[in-house]
Amino acid sequence: MALTGCFGQASTAGAAGNQTAIPLPADAQPVASGLRRLSRAEYDATLKDLLQDATSSGFAMLPADPTDPFDNDYLGQLPSGALVEAVEKLAQDAAKRALSNAVVKSSILPCSPSGPADSACFDQFVRTFGRRVLRRPVTAEELTRYRALLPYAQEANDFNFALELAITALLQEPDFLYRVELGTAVPGRAGVFRLTPFELATRLSFFLWGSTPPEWLLDAASAGQLSTTEQVHAAAERLLQDPRARARVSRFHALWLGFHRLPHALNLTQAMQAESDALIQRTIFEQPSSYLDLFRSTDTYANTVLATHYGLTKTDSNPFSWISYGASGRKGILSHGSVLSAGAKFDDTSPTQRGIFVRTRLLCEEVPKPPANANVDDPPTSPTSNCKVDRYAAHASVGDCKSCHSALDPIGFGLEKYDRAGQFRTHDLNEPSCTISGQGFLQGVGEFSGPAQLGDLLVQTGKLEACVVTQLYRFAIGRKELTEERSNVSRLTHDFQESGYAFKSLLMNIVSDETFAFRLEEQEAP
Amino acid sequence: MKKRFALSRRAVLQGAGKIAIALPWLEQMVEGQALAQTTAIPKRFVVVFDGQSLGAGGDPLHNDFVPNTIGRNYDLKSALAPLGTLGVRDQVSVVSGLRIPTASENGGTVPAAGRPNDFHVSSLSPLLSGVRSGSSTASMGVTSDQLLVPLLAGNTKLSSFVCRAQAEWYLSVSAPYGRDMISYKKDGTGKLVPIPPQTSPQQAFQQLFGNFTPAGVDAATAAAIDRQHRARKSILDLVRGDTERLTNQLGTADRTRLSRHLDELRDLERRVNAIAPPAVGECKVPPNPGQDPALGGNQGTDGSGNNTYSQNLGYSGEEERARAFVDLIHMALVCDLTRVASFQITMFQSHLSMFNITGQATDCHELSHGGVPGGTMAVSKGIAWHVKHFATLVSKLKGTPEGTGSVLDNTALVFLLEGGHGFDAGTGENNSSHSTENMACLIAGGVGGLKPGQHVVAAGKHPANVLITAMKAVGYSQTTLGEVSGDIPALRA
Repeated sequence: MALTGCFGQASTAGAAGNQTAIPLPADAQPVASGLRRLSRAEYDATLKDLLQDATSSGFAMLPADPTDPFDNDYLGQLPSGALVEAVEKLAQDAAKRALSNAVVKSSILPCSPSGPADSACFDQFVRTFGRRVLRRPVTAEELTRYRALLPYAQEANDFNFALELAITALLQEPDFLYRVELGTAVPGRAGVFRLTPFELATRLSFFLWGSTPPEWLLDAASAGQLSTTEQVHAAAERLLQDPRARARVSRFHALWLGFHRLPHALNLTQAMQAESDALIQRTIFEQPSSYLDLFRSTDTYANTVLATHYGLTKTDSNPFSWISYGASGRKGILSHGSVLSAGAKFDDTSPTQRGIFVRTRLLCEEVPKPPANANVDDPPTSPTSNCKVDRYAAHASVGDCKSCHSALDPIGFGLEKYDRAGQFRTHDLNEPSCTISGQGFLQGVGEFSGPAQLGDLLVQTGKLEACVVTQLYRFAIGRKELTEERSNVSRLTHDFQESGYAFKSLLMNIVSDETFAFRLEEQEAP
Repeated sequence: MKKRFALSRRAVLQGAGKIAIALPWLEQMVEGQALAQTTAIPKRFVVVFDGQSLGAGGDPLHNDFVPNTIGRNYDLKSALAPLGTLGVRDQVSVVSGLRIPTASENGGTVPAAGRPNDFHVSSLSPLLSGVRSGSSTASMGVTSDQLLVPLLAGNTKLSSFVCRAQAEWYLSVSAPYGRDMISYKKDGTGKLVPIPPQTSPQQAFQQLFGNFTPAGVDAATAAAIDRQHRARKSILDLVRGDTERLTNQLGTADRTRLSRHLDELRDLERRVNAIAPPAVGECKVPPNPGQDPALGGNQGTDGSGNNTYSQNLGYSGEEERARAFVDLIHMALVCDLTRVASFQITMFQSHLSMFNITGQATDCHELSHGGVPGGTMAVSKGIAWHVKHFATLVSKLKGTPEGTGSVLDNTALVFLLEGGHGFDAGTGENNSSHSTENMACLIAGGVGGLKPGQHVVAAGKHPANVLITAMKAVGYSQTTLGEVSGDIPALRA
């Protein structure tokens, strides 16, 4: 790939941008954005793309991301001593690993040094690799500052040492660790900024890949080829062709539906994740159809472990294959062990927690926190029965509790025939005399029994599709939407419906939405 | 303006039967401030936390922690047995009869230094900061350790050392929401913020002892190490400068965010620029803890929906991690790298699996809820594990001479638990683990007139009164912690 100097072309970009710039309609609501630190997953994906470094070292060493449900909510990020030290150590280790590998080294070093003091070659390296790391051109001032590292190479009589130091420094730069958006002020719109082409490229790739922009996208930014809606569209199309986009879509679902980590034995966990992933990939990428098929598919992708777990019959000899749900009462992703694992409490399924899961994750409703005098630490009890349905009835009949629990518990009871690993059962855990009816009720909508009927009911409400858009939007902007930003979600939801629920169109619509190329400056940090 | 000056004393290393080795190349790396130049013996403060209550739900036995006898030579119950095993009973006082008030006794409103009726995490704020809980799980005030930083830290490498043994939260779907942090400070803007703890013993080792003088290296290696060290400083200088420049370009909100990062960078730079004290006398580089134990998965079930505590789920080698942190805190205090330490062994409402620790097939939280048979006696096994690490630290400090006594004589340590046992304001039950009645804690060390080794019944006092006693002992001039005031004089008698 040709690596070109950037300074001259960057100004061309500005000129082209002025001619054909993406417009911001007067009634459009620009989205507030702040510094977003790379999550552990984004850090690891970025190192992989920059240095072919697949060690996932960030996951092992960086402080855990607050994950609720997404791991990229920047409002919860807090720097610490542990963070800056981990970042330093990660940078040192990554630099050493990269330079000890001839293939990696040649991929990032665009010249052959004439000796340990070759400042031209060092400059060229900082300029080209620095652009990849910082996701923007390296300034002349930065180049001068980095040159201060070169004498160490002379002292050590080893040009590599200067490279090592430069990589170590670049990987600690705030422009690397944080996605910095400054932009240029939009005349007449207070606090509104148009993203620079490089900032836009960064938004695109982190949204669609969860990783740093590739060389070609930076080149496009540099050449002023991210200035029109059509150009952004074309770049997004190209990003979506890449396997990283598929992995990103999978990760969105895993975080949203809570199965990025599952509390089961490894073989079961992996089988469940593979099952859900296969359905997501088939519906969105491999045989694109209505996204709602995710909730009404009548077959599933299982290996012997999972088929046995579900009580299904697998007749072929392939490790994994699509098998029919038959009359098992299962349908779509809500029947997957991965999703049914959510909301366990007291060593069992919790009808309340499952109700909260459906209300908050699938319908995007707010569920108020229990009042201060509620005891949420002990399972409900009944003086007359050990059966769960009676115990919960007792607790949901109490004055203050009733209003919330009547909107939550009946949802969970409709899923009770599926235990906290998604396995079918007929009676309560450890209570053979307590037969489960499996009858559920979604307040204001209707009755159901089991995940298949719940899926149908959720689709029927028309709220599910709006919620999917809302969740994806939160994942894109790195936080919950503000009230005034909901108009953007409504517009995207409308277009999603118009497209016949084509998820790829939704992704494209988010990035080509007129607000995607702008930012509103926040007033106060949390 | 930095000034070059020659290192006046010789950096020497002690080894069994080895001669002291002078390291002349050190003279090239003395830019920056020298640490620990003070001749006065420093005072230290340590807070250790156990995310458990004293007893099990439904068991009329409130605890197996509080001694039967009052005063000196108290009897050791099972939860405190490690004090005997490690020979530190006479260095540790037990304070019983403590409580944190609840909303139920205040007309439904959370009282001063109190908490809402619902138990979990509501004791965090009053316990650690003396300030009543708010609507979130966060502490509402600066915690005792951080209040002492301006007084004690001086020019030490780390103004405080904040660490946690429990590596992960171990539940999928939910997040710890503050159960994972016990130290709170005011940041540069005056906002109260938690301090995310260091959870990696290896990182902590590098942080504390990374630039200690290595022993017995040849001249070429010494030169290379020196070069690495200078280059590291150049890089940090570069990155810090770029961060400052970027901070100034940002809008208000982002400027606040990045200035927090910048504060941490400056702190790191200060630590790196500091010359490590030579490993002389009692100050020795502790054994390198090596690679951190692997992170375990979340709490889990097998294919039949049963818990599988016996697998490596809900456990990341916390036994090794806790031991390593005790070693690191010990030597960090001895070498005067820090004078304030906060050590959270387990999180509030901890879901750490106990199987690899005590052999109990349940998690730390479920110990109090019948996760295994045995009620309060089963809970006490978990507490004893925490007490073992606390007692190990006390024992190590006691075994390290300083001045005319030991480092322990110049230190105050407090061991806190999340809850007590008894009346549950949430449910009205009388033998609940969701209770802040009948609380107890430990206080150790001989600094400032503390007379450890006794069981003191401080009926109706607040755990913060014990913290105030320890804070006063290291020289804190105020008599309050948050909304709690007064110490417990009997601990000095």
